[in-house]
Amino acid sequence: MRAFETGAGGGQIFGVLRRRNGFGKPSCLLLAVFALFCCLSPAKASPHVVGFERFHSEEPTAEGGAVLYSELGCASCHGGSATVVPRQGPRLINLSQRIERDWLVSFLKDPESGREGSNMPQMFHGVADGEVEAVVAYLGSVGKDIKFPADRHANAERGSALYHEKGCIACHAPTSDFRSPHGSGEALVPELAIAHPDFQKKTSLEALNLFLSSPSSYRTDGRMPHIQLDRQESLDIAAHLIDYQGSDPRELSGVILWPKASAELIESGKAIVTKLNCASCHDLPGLKADAMKPLSRVVEEEGAHCLSSEPTPGVPYYDLTAPQLASLNLFLTGARPENDPDGQLTLAAMNCYACHDRDGVGGPTSETNHFFIGDEGLGDSGRLPPPLTGIGHKLQGDWMKSVFAGEAESRVRPYMSTQMPPYAAHAEAFTKWFQEMDAKPEAKDIVIRPDDIESGRKLLGIHGGTNCITCHNWGEQKSLGIPALDISNLDARLQSSWFHEYLINPASYRPGTLMPPLWPGGQSTVPDVLEGDTDRQIAAIWGFIKDGQGSPEGFPDRSGGQFELVPGERPIIQRTFLEGAGTKAILVGFPGEIHLAYDGSLGYPSLVWRGKFFDAYDTWFTRAAPFENPLSDDVYAFGEGGGEGRFSGYQLDANGNPVFLIERDGHMIEESFRVETGKLIRSLKWEDGEAPKVSHPHGVEVASEASAKSLTFIYSWK
Amino acid sequence: MEMKLIFFSAIALLIPVLGQTEEEKASYEVFELMTASSPSDSRSKEWKPGDGITLEVSGMEWMGDTLAISIRKGEVWMIDNALSDKIEDISYRLFASGLHEPLGLARDGDDLLVSQRAEITRLQDNDGDGVADAYLTECDGWNVSGNYHAYTYGPERDGEGNLWVTLNLGMGKLSDNSMGWRGWGGIIGDDHRFVPKALGMRSPSGMGANLEGDMFYSDQQGTWVPASPIYHLREGVFFGNQESLGTLKDPDAPFQLSAVPKANVPYPIALKQSEEFVPPAVWLPYNKVGRSTTDIQVIDTDGKFGPFDGQLLIGEFTNSSVSRVFLEEVGGEYQGACFPFLNGFPAAVVRLSFAPDGSLFVGMTNRGWSSLGNRSYGLSRISFKGVTPFSIQEMSARSDGFDLLFTEPVDEASLEGAFEMSSYTYEYSSSYGSEEIQTKDHGLSVGSISDDGKRVRIKVEELRPLYVHELRTKGVRSSDGRSLDFPNAYYTLNKIPKS
Repeated sequence: MRAFETGAGGGQIFGVLRRRNGFGKPSCLLLAVFALFCCLSPAKASPHVVGFERFHSEEPTAEGGAVLYSELGCASCHGGSATVVPRQGPRLINLSQRIERDWLVSFLKDPESGREGSNMPQMFHGVADGEVEAVVAYLGSVGKDIKFPADRHANAERGSALYHEKGCIACHAPTSDFRSPHGSGEALVPELAIAHPDFQKKTSLEALNLFLSSPSSYRTDGRMPHIQLDRQESLDIAAHLIDYQGSDPRELSGVILWPKASAELIESGKAIVTKLNCASCHDLPGLKADAMKPLSRVVEEEGAHCLSSEPTPGVPYYDLTAPQLASLNLFLTGARPENDPDGQLTLAAMNCYACHDRDGVGGPTSETNHFFIGDEGLGDSGRLPPPLTGIGHKLQGDWMKSVFAGEAESRVRPYMSTQMPPYAAHAEAFTKWFQEMDAKPEAKDIVIRPDDIESGRKLLGIHGGTNCITCHNWGEQKSLGIPALDISNLDARLQSSWFHEYLINPASYRPGTLMPPLWPGGQSTVPDVLEGDTDRQIAAIWGFIKDGQGSPEGFPDRSGGQFELVPGERPIIQRTFLEGAGTKAILVGFPGEIHLAYDGSLGYPSLVWRGKFFDAYDTWFTRAAPFENPLSDDVYAFGEGGGEGRFSGYQLDANGNPVFLIERDGHMIEESFRVETGKLIRSLKWEDGEAPKVSHPHGVEVASEASAKSLTFIYSWK
Repeated sequence: MEMKLIFFSAIALLIPVLGQTEEEKASYEVFELMTASSPSDSRSKEWKPGDGITLEVSGMEWMGDTLAISIRKGEVWMIDNALSDKIEDISYRLFASGLHEPLGLARDGDDLLVSQRAEITRLQDNDGDGVADAYLTECDGWNVSGNYHAYTYGPERDGEGNLWVTLNLGMGKLSDNSMGWRGWGGIIGDDHRFVPKALGMRSPSGMGANLEGDMFYSDQQGTWVPASPIYHLREGVFFGNQESLGTLKDPDAPFQLSAVPKANVPYPIALKQSEEFVPPAVWLPYNKVGRSTTDIQVIDTDGKFGPFDGQLLIGEFTNSSVSRVFLEEVGGEYQGACFPFLNGFPAAVVRLSFAPDGSLFVGMTNRGWSSLGNRSYGLSRISFKGVTPFSIQEMSARSDGFDLLFTEPVDEASLEGAFEMSSYTYEYSSSYGSEEIQTKDHGLSVGSISDDGKRVRIKVEELRPLYVHELRTKGVRSSDGRSLDFPNAYYTLNKIPKS
């Protein structure tokens, strides 16, 4: 029994899709019936249509039937698909170079054996083995020779990371023992996951790579979306999926060479394929599909048909579950939803709901949710794809088209690991469809008052404004806090009327968003700007984004180098994260342009540099706490071989020079530094034990003095 | 101090007393020592280092009438005459600098202990010139990967003198929570090492002991944390966040979990799966009371701060407010109720500290996240003006309902139909926060009223252990005709008392 979904929102939507809210359970009767199916049909080889199983499997609905009617390919022969982009079978080209022949033969005889939950009906029951051979021979002849991408080294481990981060697991199961970032180590296999075939039996590394680099070339209906991957990424993911443990591309081999087939055999195969009407689902050169009669009441109909309980030779056989049959029957006998007015059929059929919520339906399930990763500083908005609620009103048409087309600049959420796959072939159709569904003719566009634009600068900023740039990036300028998406180009993306609605109540569009309502209930929180007039304020912000010059108020001007620490009479000490000196780095800027970084984790000095000391801006004032670097390229690293110890702090001498206290091998050492006339002087003193081991900065002149319980080194430059 | 009037009225509006003038309404008065937007704001274009203090308050401690304050930039300042009513008499002097994002401050004799990302540091002024000259490692031993979110909080002293430290989980790039006590709390050991005591934290940004000396910490809604909770912090317990489990592999782990609770179930079910898994003493329901809770400060003022001595004040980042928590012991564990208390602060409230005179100092910084108060930092002093607010002072559990103690006698006539109650819990999951789930309305009736008119028993049908019981009131009046300052209260009923 699959796990119950959980999450925000919920409730019944137009009686079509039911989102099981929280821990509401289906009725006992349904559970019992469902359990009975499971018991009676242990070997059931039923097709797996996620959009049906997730939303419609508990009680029969005509809408569930509509999803099946599309996704099982019924509409391909009989017409009448209600989804915006009809389901199609894969293009069967170049199979002899891409697919293992043995796998294909067994797949044709029993699709379930090739891939669990395959939507391909059984076509070859009652067909002699020899005829299947002929079909395979014909299929092997389709398509020209393809060239595989040149050999590269493959890295399956990197592929695993990509597979789990890029969004593959929205539809497919996580592999092996991959640990999710929030998990306790348990690898969950979501019940809804679309199964993979045994890739080693089905294909080769290079062929799988070819497929992953361009799924839309083979799957034109978008059911396997075209995630944008570079050549290395697709190869690495292919290596992961096919469990390729090598890395040397010379080891690669393609699929086993198919035997040469005679022209007669190919022709007879083609005749069988024509007779079986394969071309209605699959794009096969030179073959035309025959339209079949429209369907009605098939389940109760006498005689042989696609949904008969037993296979009939010459007729496709679907081994459907009882809930699938019940829904399909409802669809065929009741009032058919001929189109998809709310979008729920298409979004379920294409599994957009795996990632996106729309009107409270869909979105990641409790099993897949934690695989969506990103910047958690942004809350769930930093890792979960945005809702599609009202998306046709939210986005401008051209922008939406560019998102569907997969144009690079349309990726506005760089912090999110999951990628929106492009649906380039359907960009126009989807955009038009969403716009028609979500049209809001009563919504009024913002009218910009030119005189108010300058107030927009103030409102976007942090000096008495609404602090937008505290969280949001502005073009190249990073926000002062969390890296929420760039708002400098909202006018190119959003419809202004949506923007206005959103600002009044962000959570109504995105529950749980970290974006606070700055005009709660329509009341401005900034009464002294534009007389506290909410509409004017929002219009001013929109106006500044669209037509304003420069940046919102409050970005620090770092061009003047105000944040450079310049030692005066006494040294300046500052701790930070420093490249080369670790996360417990103690920076000492001396008068005289010689500076030191002491690694507090090792209890040992790590860098010396000359010139400017340090720019403290990020350490002092940003949230990000990045690893820093010296404000100079004239850097000298201490060599290995020095004795490390436990850092116990430092004291300042009368001149403000640091004396580091280090415990090495049970003995305390005082290690002090000072700068005199262009030289760095390092002294070590100890009470007990032997003289500590030391190393010196590379490329620096070293002079030394020693006495009973002390060592002094003088570092100088030619 | 242009902001002062605006702020004053914001507080006054929330403590209304009917039939009195606006000025007389206030039970609490605010005095702003410093609020960003002045030229000393570091984010001003004109500001440069040396121009002034960026008082992003991250820790507070009293040395007599001098207030020691750590700021996120990495400095400790001494504020002399901090209790003066005249801004010009209050002076600031730099005591320590160059620290790495300190987020807590505690006095230890003449020394100060301050947190840095990688250690707790003892600051000493050995030559007596008023400036620290020794920065000694007081405690270290946790993983610092370089991730921005891996904050270190504390130290905070409990009744036995233990100094507690809590370690935030890392998030995003460079984070590594699989080792080094991320998501754990512990104490400073004799050998200057961190001694781990409890795990399962997310963002434990605030700690505070109650009058009994027991330590509490606050967490913030997010992954594995369905709503902001207040926990009793002690050895051997698990607070639910499974991202902290990695360090259990460490040989120094003080205990193991009897079981890892399964996720995606209601909290009351999840709690039963592991002996060490404990519920919060109080949930602060999202938006109703808390969004991102911060500091915990017990009220111990002999009535100088109003009628709430012994209760805990809870800082709140996003809402720029302060909440109030009443605790009681039931079945050997703490549980209790939370109430909204003070709103309208100019920036995110991060630290709370009572001055020797019983006034409350509120330290603010909104660096990194947004807050309703849109200033980047601030320091305010809140004083009780002697006008007792009309509030639900305490809400305590009974076997058949709750006892409500009001700060003033209630008008019995106003109680009819005045109460509603529903209960709910949360989902235990790795998701970022949870909706309220399994919400149920309860039948309710008013029982006895005490002779002084302050204590009202409400009888509630079918109390549910481990659920938050939300009390909503409507039209409750004091005998002198005032309305409640905040009508609602939220009781976390972990256990139902026997009587």
